[in-house]
Amino acid sequence: MIVGGGPVGHRVAERLCHHGHEGPVTLLDAEPGPAYHRVLLPALLDGSLTPADLNLPDLNDLNDLNDLPGVTVRHGVSAAGVDRRRQEVRTTEHDRLPYDTLVLATGARPHLPPVPGLRHASGWLIDGVTGLRSRTDCARVRGEEIVVLGGGPLGVEAAAALRRAGRRVTLVHPGPYPLDDRLDAGAGEVLTRHLAGLGVGLELGRIAAEVRPGKIALDDEWLLPWDTLLCCTGVRPRTRLAEAAGLAVRTGVLVDAEGRTNDPAVRAVGDCAEPGGSLYDGWEQAETVARSLTGASAPHGTAARRPVFRLRVPGLTLGVLGEGKGDAGDEIVTYRDPARGRYARLSLDATGRLRAGVLTGLPQALATLTQLYATDTPLPESRLALLLGRPAPRGGPLPELPPEAVVCRCNNVTKGALAAAWEEGARTREALAEATRATTGCGSCADDLKVLCREFAEVEA
Amino acid sequence: MNRLLVIGYGMTAHRLVEEVRSRDRGNRWRITVLGEERHEAYNRIALTDRLRGVREADLKLRGQDDRGIQVRTRTRAAAIDRRAHEVVTAEGERLPYDALVLATGAAPARPPLPGAELRGCYVYRTLDDVNAIRRAAETAPGKRAVIVGGGLLGLETAEALRRHLGVRPHVVEAARHLMPAQLDPAAAELLATGLGRRGIHLHAGLPLRSVDAGPDGAATGVTLADETRLRADLVVFTAGTRPRDDLAATADLPRADRGGYLVDEDCRTPDPAIWAIGDCAAIHGRRTGTVAPGHHMAATVAGHLTGNPTPPPPLSPAEPSTVLKLPGVEVASMGDPHAAGDGTIELTYAHPAPAPRYAKLILDPEANTLRAAILLGHPTAYPRLHALIGRELPSPAEQLLT
Repeated sequence: MIVGGGPVGHRVAERLCHHGHEGPVTLLDAEPGPAYHRVLLPALLDGSLTPADLNLPDLNDLNDLNDLPGVTVRHGVSAAGVDRRRQEVRTTEHDRLPYDTLVLATGARPHLPPVPGLRHASGWLIDGVTGLRSRTDCARVRGEEIVVLGGGPLGVEAAAALRRAGRRVTLVHPGPYPLDDRLDAGAGEVLTRHLAGLGVGLELGRIAAEVRPGKIALDDEWLLPWDTLLCCTGVRPRTRLAEAAGLAVRTGVLVDAEGRTNDPAVRAVGDCAEPGGSLYDGWEQAETVARSLTGASAPHGTAARRPVFRLRVPGLTLGVLGEGKGDAGDEIVTYRDPARGRYARLSLDATGRLRAGVLTGLPQALATLTQLYATDTPLPESRLALLLGRPAPRGGPLPELPPEAVVCRCNNVTKGALAAAWEEGARTREALAEATRATTGCGSCADDLKVLCREFAEVEA
Repeated sequence: MNRLLVIGYGMTAHRLVEEVRSRDRGNRWRITVLGEERHEAYNRIALTDRLRGVREADLKLRGQDDRGIQVRTRTRAAAIDRRAHEVVTAEGERLPYDALVLATGAAPARPPLPGAELRGCYVYRTLDDVNAIRRAAETAPGKRAVIVGGGLLGLETAEALRRHLGVRPHVVEAARHLMPAQLDPAAAELLATGLGRRGIHLHAGLPLRSVDAGPDGAATGVTLADETRLRADLVVFTAGTRPRDDLAATADLPRADRGGYLVDEDCRTPDPAIWAIGDCAAIHGRRTGTVAPGHHMAATVAGHLTGNPTPPPPLSPAEPSTVLKLPGVEVASMGDPHAAGDGTIELTYAHPAPAPRYAKLILDPEANTLRAAILLGHPTAYPRLHALIGRELPSPAEQLLT
C-alpha cells in the first residue's frame, strides 16, 4: 500500500513492478488526475510544456507486462488514518484497506514565510497568494504583476518562465544572489545577470516585511505591486498521517537507510521522509525501498552519492555537481568568461577526479563533466580544452622558447639575441651578460640564462 | 661638436649615455651628465642587495667609455632657459646644450601624516636612503620595523630586513590586499600566508594614521586607521613615487595630468631640442615606472640623436611584468592582469595545500592567446609564460604550469 501519488510514490510502484514484486500494489493518490513530474511545473507557466506533457507513465500500462497482480491506482482518494496494529489504512472514502507493507510518500507542502498580512485571521491565504506545488497552483497564477518570494531553484525557474510569458516579474530573495546556497559568487553573478537580462526585477538581500492586498512592503520599505504573490520559500514534509499513527517524526518521518520507520511494516520515502531532500534523493530512496521489499540486490555504486543539480531556465545552462560550493579540494580550477556568461569552478582531488563543480553557460562541458563525475573518472589533463569542448592539444615535450621570447626583461634581451651572442663566442653566463646586458638589471633571469647556456651547448653538440 | 646635456644620473640616464656613446661613431656628441647624488650611476633595482651587505662598488653600473663624457655628481639643475639653450644649476652656473635630455626620475612619496618626518622614518629610493636604513636596522634596539606599502619594493625590503638584519618586519598596506597592481585577491592571500610563515606580519586594508614619537622625539611606532598600534624602531615608506618634473615650470614645458614631462612616442617634448626619458617621462600622458621601458626610451632617444631613428625592438607585451622571488614564495605577474572587460577569459588553477600554488591565465575572447598571467609558487613556469604573452598557447595550459 503506497500513500501518495507524487513522482516518488509513483516511482516506488513502478520499481516494485520492475523488480517483480509478487503481491498486489495499491496506490492512493489524492489528486484526481494522473501523476506528473512536479519539478517541471515552472514550464507550465510560460506554456513551454502543456499539463499533459508533465504526466508520468500510466502505471496501469505496467500491468500488461507480466502476470503479476499489478498496481491499482485510486485517484482522488487519500489516507485519513493508519491503524498500525491491524495493519489497515482508513481512506477518505471510509474504506479500510489492509496492508502488509505501507509506504508513505505523502510529500511536502509549501512553507510560507510568517509575513504579516499573508493570511486572513482565519488562517487562509489572502486572495492571489499561492505556493507552487501542483498544477492547480500554476492555474492560480494570474495578472500582470508577479512577485516571487524565494530565489531557490523553483523561484528562479518560475520567475524566468513568467517573465518569458510576458509578465512583469520581481524576484525577492534574502541572499546576495539567487541560489546562493548552491552556487559560489562567480556562478551567482552569471545567474543574476541572466535573470536581469530577461527583465526579471531582482530584490536581493531583501525579505518581505508586510503583505497587503495587491502590495508588498520589503524590509527596506520598498513597495511592490502584485496581482499574484508566488511563495517559493521552501517546503515542509507532510507528516500529519505519520504523526497521528504514532510514528517517529522530527522534521520528517524518521527512516533508516532502507526507508524503514520505527515500525518495520511502514516505510517512508521522498519529501515526507527525513533525511529527505531533492527529487534526486527521492528517486534513489524509491529504488532502495523497492529493492529492499522485493529482495533484489542493492544497486551498484551506492557507496558515494553523486548528486547533480541542473537549473531549468531556457537559454542558461547551469549545473551543480556534488555538494557545497567546491572550496575543498586538492586543485580548484576556475574559468570565467563574463562576456558570454560562461563560468566554471571545479574542485578536484589529487587524482584529478571531480569532487564538486559549478558550471554556467558551458553545456557541452557540463554534459562531459556529469559523465566523468558519475563514473568517478579522472579528468583529462587539459581542463581548458575540456571546458571549451575542444580537442585536447598535443601534450608532448614542452616547446622550447621561441627566439623572440624576452629572457632579460629589464634590458629587453631576447633568446634570439643571446643565441647570436653565443654564436659570436660568448659561451658563459658572464660573457653573455657582457655582450647583451642580460642579467644586469634585477638579476632574476640568471637561472634562465644558465638553462639557455645548456640548451645552446646541446644544440651545438 | 654638439653638446648633449643629461639631467639626472639614474639607470636610464646611464643607459642613454651608453647607447649614444656606442652609436656615435663620429664622436659628434660631447656629453655632460648632472647627477644630484654623490654617487655615480648604480643599479637601483638591486638596492635591496645592499641590505644583505653587497658592497656599494658592486652596485655601480659598469663604467662609461669616457671619451667626451663629463659626469658631474652633487649637481642639481634648477632651471632651463630654453631661449638661451642653457640649464642653470643650483649654484647658478649656466650650462649650454644643443640637446637636453631630462632623466630626473621619480621621488619617493612620504605620506602627509603626523610624524612622517620624525627621526627613524625613512624613504627608500637612493643608495644613501638604503645605507641609512641599513645603519638604523643594525642599531635598532628592538629590531622592529614597519614597512609602509605592500608592493614589490615593500615586500622585498621587509624580507631583506628580516633575513639579513634580523629585524621583525610589519608591512602595512592601505589597499585590500598586497601588491594590488599586480595580483588578484586569491594570489595575494596565498602570498600573505607564505610571508606570515616567514615571520613577515601583514596589515592589509588599513591605512596608516600616524607615526608616533617617543620622549626623545624619534619614531617608536605607528598607529593604523583602526587604532592598532605597532611598535617600531624604524619606519620605511615604500608606497608610491611621484615624477620629478619641477623643471617644467621653469621652462614652460607641458606636464601630464598625473605628472611627468609630456612627450610623444619618440620621448620628445614640444621643444624639439628637449627630450625626457624614464620615470619622469609620460609618453602621451602615460608613465611607467619600471626599468625596461626606461631602457627602451633611452635607446629610442639615442637613436634619434645619432641619426638612426629606427626604433629599438619593441618591449614584450608581457610588460609591465613583476617578479618577487622569495624562497618558497615566488610571485610573478605579467601583462596587465587587471585589464579585463573586453571579453577576456580568466582561467585559474589553485592548489591550496601542502605548498600553495596558484596560477591565473588571462586569455583573449577566443581562449587562444595568452594576454596576462599571475603566478604564485610556479617558479619554472614564469619564463615560459612570459615568453608566451601575446601569443597562442602551444600546449595545454596545465602543462605550461608544471
